[in-house]
Amino acid sequence: MIDQRILEEVLACAMSTGGDFAELYAENTRNNSIQLVDGKIDRVVDNTYSGVGVRVFLGQRTVYATTTDLTREGLLACARSAADILGELRTNISVCLDPTAVPDFHPVLINPTTADMRKRIDILKQACFAAKDVDARIAQVQGTLMGVDHAILVANSEGLLKEDRHIRTRLIVNSVASENGENQSGGCSPGRGMGLEMFDTFNPAEVGIHASRQALVNLSAGYCPAGQMTVAIENGFGGVIFHEACGHSLEATQVGVGMSEMCGKLGQQIANEKVTAIDDGTIPGAWGSVNIDDEGNPTQRNVLIENGILKNYMIDRLGSRRMGMPMTGNSRRQGYTYEPTSRMTNTFIDNGPDKNEDIISSIEYGLYAKEMGGGSVNPLTGAFNFAVREGYMIRNGKICEPVRGASLIGTGSQILKDIDMVGQNLERGQGMCGSSSGNVPTDVGQPLIRVKKITVGGR
Amino acid sequence: MYFENAKDILVREALAAGLDEYEIYYTGSSQISTETLKDEISSFSGGSGSGISFRCIVDGHMGVAATELFEENELRSLVRRAIDNATVIENDDLAIIFGGSEKYSKTDSAEFEMPETAYIKELALGVQAKTYAESDLVTDGTQSGVFAEINRFELVNSKGLRLSNTVGLGGVFVQAVINRDGEAQEAFDFSLGFDKAEALSATAVKEAISKLGAEDVPSGKYRIIIDGKQMRSMLSAFSSVFSGKNALLGLSLLKGKEGERIAADCVTLCDDPMKEGSPVQTPFDGEGVATYKKNVIENGILKTLLYDLSVAHKAGVATTGNGQRGSYAQQVNIAPFTFYIKGGELTETQLLERMGDGIYVTELKGLHAGANAVTGDFSIESAGYLVENGKKTKAVKGFTIAGNFFDLLKGIEAVADNVKFGLPSGFTTFGSPDLLLGQMSVAGV
Repeated sequence: MIDQRILEEVLACAMSTGGDFAELYAENTRNNSIQLVDGKIDRVVDNTYSGVGVRVFLGQRTVYATTTDLTREGLLACARSAADILGELRTNISVCLDPTAVPDFHPVLINPTTADMRKRIDILKQACFAAKDVDARIAQVQGTLMGVDHAILVANSEGLLKEDRHIRTRLIVNSVASENGENQSGGCSPGRGMGLEMFDTFNPAEVGIHASRQALVNLSAGYCPAGQMTVAIENGFGGVIFHEACGHSLEATQVGVGMSEMCGKLGQQIANEKVTAIDDGTIPGAWGSVNIDDEGNPTQRNVLIENGILKNYMIDRLGSRRMGMPMTGNSRRQGYTYEPTSRMTNTFIDNGPDKNEDIISSIEYGLYAKEMGGGSVNPLTGAFNFAVREGYMIRNGKICEPVRGASLIGTGSQILKDIDMVGQNLERGQGMCGSSSGNVPTDVGQPLIRVKKITVGGR
Repeated sequence: MYFENAKDILVREALAAGLDEYEIYYTGSSQISTETLKDEISSFSGGSGSGISFRCIVDGHMGVAATELFEENELRSLVRRAIDNATVIENDDLAIIFGGSEKYSKTDSAEFEMPETAYIKELALGVQAKTYAESDLVTDGTQSGVFAEINRFELVNSKGLRLSNTVGLGGVFVQAVINRDGEAQEAFDFSLGFDKAEALSATAVKEAISKLGAEDVPSGKYRIIIDGKQMRSMLSAFSSVFSGKNALLGLSLLKGKEGERIAADCVTLCDDPMKEGSPVQTPFDGEGVATYKKNVIENGILKTLLYDLSVAHKAGVATTGNGQRGSYAQQVNIAPFTFYIKGGELTETQLLERMGDGIYVTELKGLHAGANAVTGDFSIESAGYLVENGKKTKAVKGFTIAGNFFDLLKGIEAVADNVKFGLPSGFTTFGSPDLLLGQMSVAGV
């Protein structure tokens, strides 16, 4: 992407005022999405993002400078602006880079940003037309087929020079069902770290049918009752509960500055012993997988909680300096305009000892949260929330009528203890996680779990 | 110079491709920010960037492509990409490259100057020290920061229109963290401009302390006052219901409601692109149409939805100048500018007295997930204060409020005089005073 000699010169310039570490990150991203609404192709989004971020460390202080000017002069000016902020000392540093090839564990067959447009439109229409055909009450369907080709280069003053490419594909379908002046919505949005070959693993029409079925369920649903109850949360995107309730609180971004309720709890029993939670950025072709993180470290499989005991945090370079612990391959950023920080990759609760049917039959009165929406957390207090997109009441161990408009709230430390049954149908779902280093693709996941008591926000 | 060179290449390429109607939209930006931890600067960042987009009409359809890579090959390919993208469009929108409005407003704000790095470091450290000095309970994790950015926009098209606008803004924030006997709480406050930072430390620390010892609330029906800071977030979460495009597509329940009562008498919702004192005043929208101030809701009546050129054409009305493009990377998207509920007569104290007993909600979390603009339903994690006999008596947390946005608008009983504006995001700023909402469902313990 950039000539090695220029990189060495730029890093030396960045280090010239006393910094103890410098890093250059370059990005060239092609984003190509096709959007369909009302049965017709409505828009093509076709953007190139291209730029560089130079970061200089002095102890636990960092300076970050960015530019879209990729000429030698532009890059040197960017490095100099970072160096100047750090100090005035002038030292002669030389940096010698050692290019290392990055093995590709997620090879892509059909690049979704350059594949034949007709083929992509065909996939999108299969999904959206199938959604529309589900029922006459499906009033509107919106679909997007998104392709991202994200090429990165990381070089640092320790000699690291790596280039990598992350390609991902996502199909998003949102359906609206309408009856008697009332609208209800449903959605489905699978994504992978793959190309269009993703559609060899499932049929686009299934995605549309799933979205419309959910909208129709909600159309027939009454409001969810309010109050504390036992809740069974289904697999897949249900794992957002761990992502929000605990995952963010295990990021060095929070832990390294004492802003997490999980600080100082390594080795302690923080969850029910049935809970084992893992962050794994190496799963082949997964939405949250990358070969190397945005500091150039290979991603890993990190066991965060094992049988309820806190084993590790997710740590980037700055976090490593702050916490005195090794990096874990979790440094991520949306792009060059963001300084990287510790983030999740594919994070999930592992299969447990309980049979799924036993979980449902154990609940006398409660909520079955079949599909979850997004949520958020305050890592300092652990207070979290997330939305239920499709829910049903449970009575006498049986799944009964659908209910809508529910949310679940609680605190992370409490809910980890209250997850008292863990089932055996682990699956993952896809999301975009937003934090200080921008939006990054992450998988969440879990098998069916039971939370013995949680506040259900309803009416 | 970046822009001029790139523009020349794009125009040359457009003419060579035989295009009659095309438009170039450019954004150049620079920003700096700094943050503190304990008593030192922990991070500093600065940067500059440019991006350009090209859009053109081919056989009646609009195609767009955008880039940050200012290399000749890339720029030349941009025109080809936009043409290719146009050829697959199937909608029946009228594609328009706009020739210009009769006149455009002038911004009244003084030109924003980027502060010196030494100045913002000193300012951040000063605010940080003041925050620690506010209380012995203030603890590490507390951050103060200063930020500033300048964005320049250029629009040039084949109809001879050439417009430019520069907006700049800067400000200070405090994230106060306190700890008392192992219970941690935090509060955030910000100010736009660098001369109003004085009060931030005290308000953030005071608010964090007031949350200590917050109690659970029993589930039930409560009368609710919503803080203007939270109501503006709610307005943001539901702002897409005011889009004329969403109405046409059946994605907004306000479809066909223009001229009807959709809110209580006391509600007037205004969109003001040139709002006095706003750092992001903009005389023209992303299509080059002159912007203007309008009431979207006036005394409870829906006066208009928001439109761009093609949606207005389809709906048989005039554009409201709301075809926004927040940057070169964004295509035209209908959105409000400074969008706020107008203040009423009551002070905050009088509003509390009017409610008598209930909950004053000062935090809403997770609106991006818990609010559904298609249905209007919301169920949101909340915190605030219990109000008894018109007085805040204790902090409460860990509950949700649930309802429907369209019902909420109709049920507003009273409006305070304290309109609170948020930070601009692109050209959009939301604002609201505290509102007395009447009774809502609360889920607690």
